[in-house]
Amino acid sequence: MVDLSQYLPILIFMGIALALSAAFILLPMGVARLTGAHKPDAEKLSEYECGFPAFEDPRSQFDVRFYLVAILFIIFDLEAAFLFPWAVSLDLTGWAGWITMMIFLGELVIGYIYAWKKGALEWE
Amino acid sequence: MDFTASLALIAPEILLSVSGLVLLLAGAWMGDGASRLVSYAAVAVLAVCAFMVAPALCSGAMGPDTVAFGGQFRADAFASFAKLLIYAAGGAALLVAPAFFERHGAMRAEYPVLVLFAVLGMGLMVSAGDLLTLYIGLELNSLSAYVLAAFLRTDERSAEAGLKYFVLGALASGILLFGMSLTYGFTGTTTFEGIRTALSGGLSTGALFGVIFMLAGLAFKIAAVPFHMWTPDVYEGAPTPVTTFFATAPKVAAVGLTMRVAMDAFGKQESAWQQVIIFAALASIVVGALGAIGQVNIKRLLAYSSINNVGFILIGLAAATQAGASAMLVYLSIYVAMSVGGFVAVLMLKDADGEAVEAIADIAGLSRTQPLLALCLAAVMFSLAGIPPLFGFWGKFVVFQAAVQADMIALAAIGIAASVIGAFYYLKIVKIMYFDEPVNKVHGKSDWIHWALLAVSAIFISPLGYLLTRWLGSLADKAAAALLFAA
Repeated sequence: MVDLSQYLPILIFMGIALALSAAFILLPMGVARLTGAHKPDAEKLSEYECGFPAFEDPRSQFDVRFYLVAILFIIFDLEAAFLFPWAVSLDLTGWAGWITMMIFLGELVIGYIYAWKKGALEWE
Repeated sequence: MDFTASLALIAPEILLSVSGLVLLLAGAWMGDGASRLVSYAAVAVLAVCAFMVAPALCSGAMGPDTVAFGGQFRADAFASFAKLLIYAAGGAALLVAPAFFERHGAMRAEYPVLVLFAVLGMGLMVSAGDLLTLYIGLELNSLSAYVLAAFLRTDERSAEAGLKYFVLGALASGILLFGMSLTYGFTGTTTFEGIRTALSGGLSTGALFGVIFMLAGLAFKIAAVPFHMWTPDVYEGAPTPVTTFFATAPKVAAVGLTMRVAMDAFGKQESAWQQVIIFAALASIVVGALGAIGQVNIKRLLAYSSINNVGFILIGLAAATQAGASAMLVYLSIYVAMSVGGFVAVLMLKDADGEAVEAIADIAGLSRTQPLLALCLAAVMFSLAGIPPLFGFWGKFVVFQAAVQADMIALAAIGIAASVIGAFYYLKIVKIMYFDEPVNKVHGKSDWIHWALLAVSAIFISPLGYLLTRWLGSLADKAAAALLFAA
């Protein structure tokens, strides 16, 4: 049988996280309701979703350029995400780790050059 | 083992990745007009890589000297055998492409680059000694393949094939990853060697689920029943040169990977996966044979034929012996030649306007209008059916022999019976080409490269191929010995 008591810290952590996040949401709502004017309209009540209407026909067309920029963003965003664990463990991985990351970055730069040359970064 | 030795072992992979990147930039700067040049450069790179891996196969390399990066990568004779097949298939896919895509005005410099990266991924797959190497290789191959399937961007069927392949491939990768995480969770390691040691005592239920999920993911990649449903659609929709590639190289890589996972990582728990493999083998043979009967499109027919062939290959794995592994490699070599021959012949079926002819009814009476092409296609069909004078028979023979030696007589008997069903539709194609009234649909001249590739594969699968049996058999034995030594 698994000893569940060793998971107590994570349970406490979850409880605290739940309480804190609930407070962060409910407190501003309550304060705003009590202090400010309460005049909701359709625009104010709608969700904010990157400037697009949140609910519409999924078959609507959108500019494929958004997709291109988004995917390039994700690639370089992930690169940054990989850099953090690499940076904090560099004392263990040593020169081998450093050179490996430089090769990885070099490959990404080649991809970047390719995207640039192909005109993927130009909006028009 | 130090880094220098490890780096020397992955030299072909380094060459492939560096030249892929260089050709990518070259293609971007020189434009799509240089596509042919980039393609031929990529073929040259593959040829050099083939020379780099060949010595390991000829010397039967195995053991600790072939292990790089602490067990993550293995450059043994088995990997070399599979890589040579992959490079050959990749080279064929590169050579046939320019003529096809130029006709559609869609030849782009990215095609050879994507093929190179896919080949690199497949090389990693067959060399994997660790679940993570396995996954990285698989994804590198798959991501390139999704783009290749949709390479004719303006063609709806090609786009559909790409999308379908992507969605189902992502699902399969997820299943495989889930199995890998279970295996890691229950064995505490990701190296094949470690998993083997951890499972030598017994198989817990959790680890069993890991094995099954991993096999399900891999079965998708080799298009074995019941995970075959994507194959006909993707093979039909993808541009024919890409289909040639899909039917050959990734099949070799995924089968090689499955062999490594089954015989090495899970090698101590044969009873757990043997039943699964037996089921997949028999189901693939039967579904492949029955599904092909009603097809009217020749690419779909060849897709079902490839499902059928995978079933025969898996019979060798079900035997779980060295002879079985060796038989699988022999079968794979012959299968690659048959597939390249078959799809190149399909590529050469064009009407007067140069448009591809894919309907089976349109090749009626081909023997009278294009006798040489009909002869080659007939040879491929006879060989796929496993009719004795042709080399395809030898592949089936060694596989069934391995099964019988492993006391799986029932399995071999069912396989032989089902291959008779399969013979029906192969012979139907021959009958349509030779005995039906000509419809005179197929015209047009083909590139000499197509003829050359078709001739090479036709000679290989002709009775002349039997001259190679001893040589091929001894190489396959060396490779199989290396696979089991690692285990």
